[in-house]
Amino acid sequence: MYKNHLNPIHCIIPPYMLSKLIESGNKKVADMAVNSKFRSYRFLSDRNFFRAASFYEKTILGAVPKKPAKSTMQMEVYDCRQTTDLTNATLLWDTKNKQRFNSIAGKNVIKGGKASWDFYRDLFGRNSIDNNGLLIKQYVHYDKGMDNAYWDGRRMVYGDGDGVVFTSFTSDIDVIGHELTHGVTENEANLDYENQTGALNESFSDIFGIMIKQRYNNQDVKKSNWLIGEKVLIGINYALRSLKAPGTGYRNHPELGDDPQPAIMDNYQDMPNTESGDWGGVHINSGIPNFAFYVSAFNIGGYSWEKTGRIWYAVLTDSNLAHDAKFVDVKNMTIQHAERLFGINSLEVKAVKQGWLEAKV
Amino acid sequence: MKIKLIRTGGFIPITKMAEVEVNFTDKELVRLIEVIKPDPSAQRIKDGNYYQLNVGTSSTPVDLEKVPEEYNELFSKLKNSMKIVK
Ligand SMILES: [Zn+2]
Repeated sequence: MYKNHLNPIHCIIPPYMLSKLIESGNKKVADMAVNSKFRSYRFLSDRNFFRAASFYEKTILGAVPKKPAKSTMQMEVYDCRQTTDLTNATLLWDTKNKQRFNSIAGKNVIKGGKASWDFYRDLFGRNSIDNNGLLIKQYVHYDKGMDNAYWDGRRMVYGDGDGVVFTSFTSDIDVIGHELTHGVTENEANLDYENQTGALNESFSDIFGIMIKQRYNNQDVKKSNWLIGEKVLIGINYALRSLKAPGTGYRNHPELGDDPQPAIMDNYQDMPNTESGDWGGVHINSGIPNFAFYVSAFNIGGYSWEKTGRIWYAVLTDSNLAHDAKFVDVKNMTIQHAERLFGINSLEVKAVKQGWLEAKV
Repeated sequence: MKIKLIRTGGFIPITKMAEVEVNFTDKELVRLIEVIKPDPSAQRIKDGNYYQLNVGTSSTPVDLEKVPEEYNELFSKLKNSMKIVK
């Protein structure tokens, strides 16, 4: 009886009872009681530590389970019926009822949303956008022929495209992953949406968007074409952006002309921090950190999400990533995390340094 | 007078524009612009679109969700006829 009760694996005896057992005069009982008391104190202090630890600290200590038993995706998909009225949109589908419906856009966002949710859960143990099981809300058929998709701080919204230049913005998983990642960023460093910091915000969305697509399609760094929105922009030679060669997503497009993204810091575009200036070129200059990621991932090889993705996720969720971080801050942090994860002289560290070097940051 | 509706921003930043001839009085225009002024404290929408109204040489940001009912048809037409500015 004593044996089982004193084994800390089977039960934890309150400290006052253990103290009494220690003083009982029976050496065998006292030995077991001291050991039990010692272990239970250690257990309690560990538990207190982990209760207070940040998600990032837990990640470092490997204390974040890869697949927490309780995290299940919660999603709702709404049909705006070609209006801009999000409040009165019709519920098409939710994870509870899994209704049947006909909208291709609706089916696309379920597929893309699930691929994104799985990506963050399976690889990083992240429980949804906020790491706390947030219900994912996606709105399709927004406005008449709207050629855009956006994250409004609470939900993802997709237009059908004009049917001439753009098709539905739900057509590519990377675009859906891009929007969902804006939510992740908002819940982590909450990077400002302007100038270099805004370009980093955009870049994290493109980087995780492309990795989500690559993982869904089981493509390694060589097999992937590294294009964002290759179906959304109509025409076989066109995509919205390229991480492999920023500035070549589309060229000589009859309506859009040339993709304006730079790949290197020498060609950074100083634009006004206004609505019409793309808040200082956040969708333009993101080409630079995008290119640094591509070069790093290509040199590391294999599947981008396995090593390069781990490095970039560690930075995105690092509490030291400031809300106004610049390219050089993310450069330094990716190198630090690569060193921590793979060793100071590792191939991975060299690859990350080479990535930023080629982007001339 | 001619009014021009311009849209900027988006997942890839493109500019779209449409214009129409209207018979607004100056007073009516000032009142309309006041009503459809965007909330200055509004959060920046990631990949969001923004609209502005140009009259002559002056330009003002507008929130199309605030357009009063009597102007809905006009703004819908304008919005639907916007073309990409090359
Ligand atoms: Zn974005």
